[in-house]
Amino acid sequence: MNETFVTNWKSQVKKGTLTFIILNVLKNSEYYGYELIEQIRKHTEIEIAEGTLYPLMNRLKTEELVDSKWVEQETGIPRKYYSLTEAGIETLSQMNIYWENLEKSIKKIIQ
Amino acid sequence: MKIEDIKFEQKASQRIYNDYMKRIKKATSSLSKINQDDIYMEFNSHIYESIQHKNKTNEIDSLLDIIEKLGIPEEVLKPLIADKKLEQATKTFNPVHVFKALILNFTNGVSYIFFFVLYLFLFGFVFLIFAKIFYPSLVGLHIKPDSYSVFILGIVNPESDLKKQTIEVLGNWFIPVMLLSIVLFYFLITLLLKLKKSINQKTLS
Repeated sequence: MNETFVTNWKSQVKKGTLTFIILNVLKNSEYYGYELIEQIRKHTEIEIAEGTLYPLMNRLKTEELVDSKWVEQETGIPRKYYSLTEAGIETLSQMNIYWENLEKSIKKIIQ
Repeated sequence: MKIEDIKFEQKASQRIYNDYMKRIKKATSSLSKINQDDIYMEFNSHIYESIQHKNKTNEIDSLLDIIEKLGIPEEVLKPLIADKKLEQATKTFNPVHVFKALILNFTNGVSYIFFFVLYLFLFGFVFLIFAKIFYPSLVGLHIKPDSYSVFILGIVNPESDLKKQTIEVLGNWFIPVMLLSIVLFYFLITLLLKLKKSINQKTLS
C-alpha cells in the first residue's frame, strides 16, 4: 500500500470538505470559534489547524453564508458567535443534496 | 468594544502570551483599526476559551499547546490579511491600500501579477510627468509622421535616428493627458480588482 498517497488523499478530502462540515455544524446552533473547532472534532474526528479556521470563517462571511456577532461575557473576554444566514441555509441545502447524490454514486462504485 | 487582555498567574506565561499577541498586532498593522481589533479579539477569545477547557495543571504547558495549535501569527493570518486588504482596497479606492493588497495577493494567482504590472504602468505615467518637466523637448508622444506605425511614449535620445524620424504630437497637452491616463488607469485597475474579487467569490461558492 502507498501510505503517503493515502495520507495526502485524506488530507485533500478533509480540506475539501471542511467548509461543508462547518456549515452543517452551524445548521443547528450558533457557535464561537473554539466551540466550533470542538464540534468539528467531536463529529468528524478531524483535527484542524486551529488558526486556519478564522480566515475560512472570514471568507464564509464575505460570501454572506455566515454572520457573526460579538457577545460580551462576564469574564470580560467577549465571544464571537457565528451563525448561518438565510443564504447560508439555502446554499447548504443545495450542498447536502449534491453530497447525498455523490455518496450514493460512490457507494455503487465501491460495491 | 473594550479589549481586555488575559491575566496569567505565572510571569513566564504572561510574557509568552504578550509576545504572541504583539505579533498578531504587528502582523495585522496594515489593516483598518476595526479589522485589527476584530482579529486581535478573536484570537484572544480563542486562547482564553481554550485555557478554560484545558485540564492541565501547568499554565505554561497549556498556553504553549494552544499557541502551537493556533500557529505562527504571520503565517496563519496571511490569507486573512490578504482578503481583508483586498476588501479595503476595493472599497476605498485608496492607492496605498490597492498597492498593499496587490503585494499581499501576489501569491494568490498569476492575475495579480498582471494587476501589479498595470500598476507599474501607472507609476510610469507619474514618472513621465516629472520627466517632461525636466526634459520638455525629449519627453512626449513621439510618432513617425508618414506611417503612424512607430510611436513612443517616453524619452527619446536626442542623438538617435528615432528622434530625427519622429515628431512629438502632444506638446503642452502631454501633462494633462498623462494626468487623465493616471486617473483612468487607476479606476480601471480598481474596477478590474473588484471584478476579480467577485469572480473569486463565485468560484469559491
